[in-house]
Amino acid sequence: MRPMPDPLTEPASESPAELPDLNPVIHGKLRLALLSLLSGVEEAEFTWLRAKTNSTDGNLGAQLLKLEEAGYVAVEKKFVLRKPQTLYRMTESGRRALTDYVQALKQLLGSAINAR
Amino acid sequence: MISNPDEQELAKQELTARLSLIESMIAEGRQTTESWGWSFVLWGIAYYVAIAWSTLGHSNFAWPVTMIGTGILTAVIASRMTNRQPETTVGRAISAIWIGVGVSLFIFCLCASSAGRIDLQTFVAAVAAMLGAANAISSIILKWKGQFACALIWWASAAASCFSTASQSSIIFLVAIFFGQIVFGVYMMFSESRERRNHESKSGAAHA
Repeated sequence: MRPMPDPLTEPASESPAELPDLNPVIHGKLRLALLSLLSGVEEAEFTWLRAKTNSTDGNLGAQLLKLEEAGYVAVEKKFVLRKPQTLYRMTESGRRALTDYVQALKQLLGSAINAR
Repeated sequence: MISNPDEQELAKQELTARLSLIESMIAEGRQTTESWGWSFVLWGIAYYVAIAWSTLGHSNFAWPVTMIGTGILTAVIASRMTNRQPETTVGRAISAIWIGVGVSLFIFCLCASSAGRIDLQTFVAAVAAMLGAANAISSIILKWKGQFACALIWWASAAASCFSTASQSSIIFLVAIFFGQIVFGVYMMFSESRERRNHESKSGAAHA
């Protein structure tokens, strides 16, 4: 069996022929984890997301930027007691995209099970 | 389409892993490491202090001063504990209940003790009914039977107080505080610490 590709580092180049209907922006493992985390809370701090995903600052920042560019998360930077705070929340479009992704995933899994 | 059965199996495994990741992350986001058992114990002690002060010191300020002091202490401890925890809809609903009931209790205790028109039985019945309502709503939101039992204790106390003498009502209130605040708070602290330990052992697994 060939090794599984690392989706953390290669989220966009994941076998498009195998997974044609899955949104490549969401399909990256870390981005999917971030969107799933944000779907359960109203907004979350960068540090909380980092702790929950066990990721590095650089990787987390880069993936959040991709989600922000896609319009799936909104970012708010502010100062609380003179300390900088970066808050992320899921947008309506992000919620829709995650819902669509889950639907597509279930359909693909269903067809995989039926094909056996 | 994937024709190779090995590749098909791999793709299926990957899709299943993605689905599990979504489920675990949603659960992780909702998982709270906040503890509130201490606040039940703190307020139980505060009620005892207010009762002792108002009974022995015959002071009209006993209830308002104790409630304000405990309220400030709760707010300070809570703000330190919940710092950096993201807000959830359930969390805000629970906070809304307790803030609403807390303000109602404060206004009622302040006015009832300063006006001096309400007898002890009515006072105990009103306070116990409000605490019963708060615990019941909270238990329904959290789907926690233990807290509903706590609500039943308060409601039973409210009902019993309406049919009892002043001294009986005092005893009912003291017993309800002991079981509804102190015992329940300690039980809550134990279950929260057990849940935290379970959560920490699960969190050892590699996330995304």
